[in-house]
Amino acid sequence: MSLVMSDTSARKKITPRKSRKKRSTFDTTLGRAVLQLLAVAVFFALWELGVHAGYISAFLMGSPSGIFATFYKLVLSGELLSDSWYTLFEAILGFIIGTIFGSLFGLALWYSVFVAKLVEPFIVAINSVPKIALAPIVVLWFGTGLISKVALAVSLTALVALIAAYQAAKDADVDLQSLMISMGADKHQVFWKAVVPSTLPSIIATFRINIGFGLVGAVVGEFISSQRGLGHMIFLASSLYDLNSVWVGLFTLMILGFVLYYVIDIIERTSLPWKQATTSHQVQV
Amino acid sequence: MPPKQVQLTVQNISKSFPGKGGDVNVLDDLSFSINERDFVSIIGPSGCGKTTIFNIIAGLLEPDGGTITYRGKEIESLRGRVGYMMQKDLLFPWRTVMGNVLLGLETRGVDQKEAEEKAREYLKQFGLAGFENAYPKTLSGGMRQRVALIRTLIMDPDILLLDEPFSALDYQTRLYLEGVLKDAVQKFNKTVILVTHDIDEAVALSKRVVVLSGRPARVKVVHEIDIEATSPITARNDVKFSTYFKTLCAELDIQTETTS
Ligand SMILES: Nc1ncnc2c1ncn2[C@@H]1O[C@H](COP(=O)(O)OP(=O)(O)O)[C@@H](O)[C@H]1O
Ligand SMILES: [Mg+2]
Repeated sequence: MSLVMSDTSARKKITPRKSRKKRSTFDTTLGRAVLQLLAVAVFFALWELGVHAGYISAFLMGSPSGIFATFYKLVLSGELLSDSWYTLFEAILGFIIGTIFGSLFGLALWYSVFVAKLVEPFIVAINSVPKIALAPIVVLWFGTGLISKVALAVSLTALVALIAAYQAAKDADVDLQSLMISMGADKHQVFWKAVVPSTLPSIIATFRINIGFGLVGAVVGEFISSQRGLGHMIFLASSLYDLNSVWVGLFTLMILGFVLYYVIDIIERTSLPWKQATTSHQVQV
Repeated sequence: MPPKQVQLTVQNISKSFPGKGGDVNVLDDLSFSINERDFVSIIGPSGCGKTTIFNIIAGLLEPDGGTITYRGKEIESLRGRVGYMMQKDLLFPWRTVMGNVLLGLETRGVDQKEAEEKAREYLKQFGLAGFENAYPKTLSGGMRQRVALIRTLIMDPDILLLDEPFSALDYQTRLYLEGVLKDAVQKFNKTVILVTHDIDEAVALSKRVVVLSGRPARVKVVHEIDIEATSPITARNDVKFSTYFKTLCAELDIQTETTS
């Protein structure tokens, strides 16, 4: 008898049946984008009208036309771009350093249950401190320059990554590890080939939260003391009651966060190709 | 036929696990031997300690007492020399079919190119050529278990430990894989210990069937299966098949005839 036989049970690809309910013309990518932009336009139009009619104080709230004029001015002078780059750089640097160190430390705890149990209460204790409260000390220690902002961003992101990596390493499938041991693998091989890959989804899932924390760290650091960055710009402008500049800073931060979120999204989708088949389709209720 | 030579002996193995009301004696003074090129099935009530025996032989658990002797030498365990297959295929989801097949050779430090060449050969032989770059989740249960079998065989293990490897599959796929297994074992001259709860499968595949009693597990009886068949399917048509089947059912206290 030959070893080669056709396998009749090969699974067919499941394609979700098209919903029979007729979809509205707005329920498409383009339609949704139009509706979203429309909502934003209406919001700004009402705001502008409110200012002109005297219902809204331009002094306390700013006005869309003023915001736009300020935006234009700050773009032309190059201030907005340089402040944005500065904050972005701090946030990304803090995010990368915090995520790498946090994840490595969390994964390393897999090696020794004893050490892990020893440090667990300390990790929980440190994690329960609102790390933003550290900001003044961090500035005292690391000065008013770039390093203190990065340090703050690291303090916010590292523990999130550490806890996620440690938990995922603890949860890694014991049977896969047993299989490797029965094959004669040593602890390092089990760690690198079974544990680390199985923790990657959890570690990558922290990127989304942590990139936001990176921005928080950078901006709060700039609030406290800085000569540059969007946080500095917002802080300075609000102390001068220059609401239009405050809004420009906030909207720029929003756009930065937005872009970073989608960059992370792409990283998440391309770095785990083996995960794709299931996450692409959501059950319709 | 050459005289049978003993390859592996487990002797007086005992193992208990801490339980709620004191220690639970799972294995107590269990002994049996496996011959060279043997195909032994172990059947017994579920929870009687079959997986525990495998874990001890594979070096995943330490027995409380007893010895393991391999080809005349007393050893700790066969870690690194067994091919352990479990009910779950345990394919690494982040590795492709090729990556999964290469797992063992990688841990052994075999040259990458050489290993891949060997893997391709095996994949072709088992009808999986063209699936090298597929991820496990895109394969059917039967295909996944075949990949797991290749991953086991490519290591050229001294003994295959198969722990209910087909029990999660449908009957047709199981029949087919039994044939694949039997052919592979013959071709590569392997010794197999198969744990199964399927008496039918045990009789169709094995040279001997070991029946274990309930906890603590002891060997109740060993049956030599004297069926000369080319495949597990033809074995099921053998005149002696149903006699063995009925005897084994009786050993396991399964009622085969309704008594009035
Ligand atoms: N690691 C463990 N800790 C505690 N009890 C265990 C452990 N492994 C197995 N057991 C117990 O030992 C008994 C035998 O288990 P197992 O060898 O898996 O049985 P089988 O494979 O024959 O079904 C079961 O009652 C199980 O609950
Ligand atoms: Mg079992």
